[in-house]
Amino acid sequence: MNAPLYRLENLQVRYGDRLALDVDHLEIAPGSILGLEGPNGSGKSTLLRVLAFLEAPSRGVLSFRGVPASESNLLELRQQATLLLQDPYLLRRSVFENIACGLRARGARHGLKEKVFHCLELVGLDPRDFAQRSWTALSGGEARRVALASRLAIRTPVLLLDEPTAGVDKGSVTLLKSAALKAREEWGATLVVVSHDMAWLNQVADSLLAFQDGRPGRSVVQNRLAGPWLEGTGGLWTMTLDCGQVVTSTRPPGSGSVGLLDAGDITVAVEKPHGLSIRNALPVTILEMNLENGSGAVLLKGSCAGVSLTARLTQASATELGLVPGRNAWFLFKASAFQWE
Amino acid sequence: MFMDFILEGFSQALALLAGGDPETWSAVDVTIRLTALSMGASLMLGLPLGILLGTRDFPGKRLVRTVVDTCLALPTVVVGLVVYAFISRQGPLGSLDLLFSLKGMAIGQAILALPIVVALTASALDGADPRMLMTLQTLGTPPGRMVLGLLREVRYAVLAAAVTAYGRVVAEVGVSMMLGGNIKWHTRTITTAITLETGKGEFSMGIALGLVLLALSFLLNGALSFFRRRAAS
Repeated sequence: MNAPLYRLENLQVRYGDRLALDVDHLEIAPGSILGLEGPNGSGKSTLLRVLAFLEAPSRGVLSFRGVPASESNLLELRQQATLLLQDPYLLRRSVFENIACGLRARGARHGLKEKVFHCLELVGLDPRDFAQRSWTALSGGEARRVALASRLAIRTPVLLLDEPTAGVDKGSVTLLKSAALKAREEWGATLVVVSHDMAWLNQVADSLLAFQDGRPGRSVVQNRLAGPWLEGTGGLWTMTLDCGQVVTSTRPPGSGSVGLLDAGDITVAVEKPHGLSIRNALPVTILEMNLENGSGAVLLKGSCAGVSLTARLTQASATELGLVPGRNAWFLFKASAFQWE
Repeated sequence: MFMDFILEGFSQALALLAGGDPETWSAVDVTIRLTALSMGASLMLGLPLGILLGTRDFPGKRLVRTVVDTCLALPTVVVGLVVYAFISRQGPLGSLDLLFSLKGMAIGQAILALPIVVALTASALDGADPRMLMTLQTLGTPPGRMVLGLLREVRYAVLAAAVTAYGRVVAEVGVSMMLGGNIKWHTRTITTAITLETGKGEFSMGIALGLVLLALSFLLNGALSFFRRRAAS
């Protein structure tokens, strides 16, 4: 096995009294793609800034290729990783100069034009049209792609992406995703990606971490069903989805609790079953099917009149049931399957 | 009657300027050389200090900011007085023979301009988008180029600081009068000449020099506005 690229030991980042990041042990293998998920403020972006050597941990050890990061090697280490911010900042200059900035900082003098144009093409922007544009003459999606191009141009061993596809148009999302993956294809970069796009993360990431309150944990594909939950009969509680379907659960901690339903706890059927003890049967239309990286399972995204739920099943089951996007199916799950937030 | 008097002053002023009156143009020449010296010095000192104050945290930073902000309103005659004490024959720098010279006047004007350059540069950086520094860092900008990178990002604010400081030094009278002595052909600036000529009742020359002063301000502010518009387009 390769020696880890990053190793984090008992690492903490604090802002005053608040613990923003608390990682007991984490290793990231070279050339891998690590996906990070979790609610806002759970420590994902803080971890990216630490991995980019932009933020020093309050305590603990961060090693890169076996060398602990310190004040003395910080500038050298910063050359190894680059971070695309969640809301990227474009320098107040032309698109060409934005992309060339990092190259010039690294002493590149020759072949700048070819490199800049190549990176613009990687992110799906026509160099002849965009190279001389001002930073003010770009849409949100184009600006995000230029920012990614400027990171790709410097070909660092590590590419850190903070919500690279948030808030941009569909066309830009596809281009940003494929351009980010080019970093691994072209020069074997290690990617750490924060995203709420679980389908994409599940598809491309070699491993996933779910963050909660600054701590990373095993990632599971979960569906979130927010209350209000109302007390029903027989000790069961119910909530009504926007589509009008009623979901039944065992007693939640509170009426406003959020029910977490593991994708693996959902059974899929192509016809409405009868005579089962399962309380919940939701009619869905299949929207997407993605292969989960690593497990080989199929993640099935279904919509119940606009409410999306994700189920996990084996490839064999998906083939047997003849599931394809657009087909109607039933998502079945027990009232006791919920965990609570 | 009053309008005739003003109009006559204007027509004589234009004749002085167009005719290349040596005394008038000497004051313009001295002013340009003097302000170039004083602005050069205040920018060389003020930009690094402003960057330091705008980007670094250190103990006593708030106090320093307060002192710098207070110095924005330094009275010119007080600066003139203090510098006079230092560069006069009895002063510690008396041997350098700076009194009644352009260099001596430039020291006084640089002291006037310095707080403006420092305060406005620091404010520009202090109020700048925090992602700017992070972006330059994550693109691998070495520390030596970081300052240039930051300055380039806030270039219009820095330019505005320089123009504001120039406005202060080109229009001041106290420092030029006290440290330069208003010596004809040598240390007589536009403002000291206007003061003198108006006192003598020579309004036309005063108006001519006033027009040059206004033209200078207009040119500088026009250039700043042009660059800003171009940057925003």
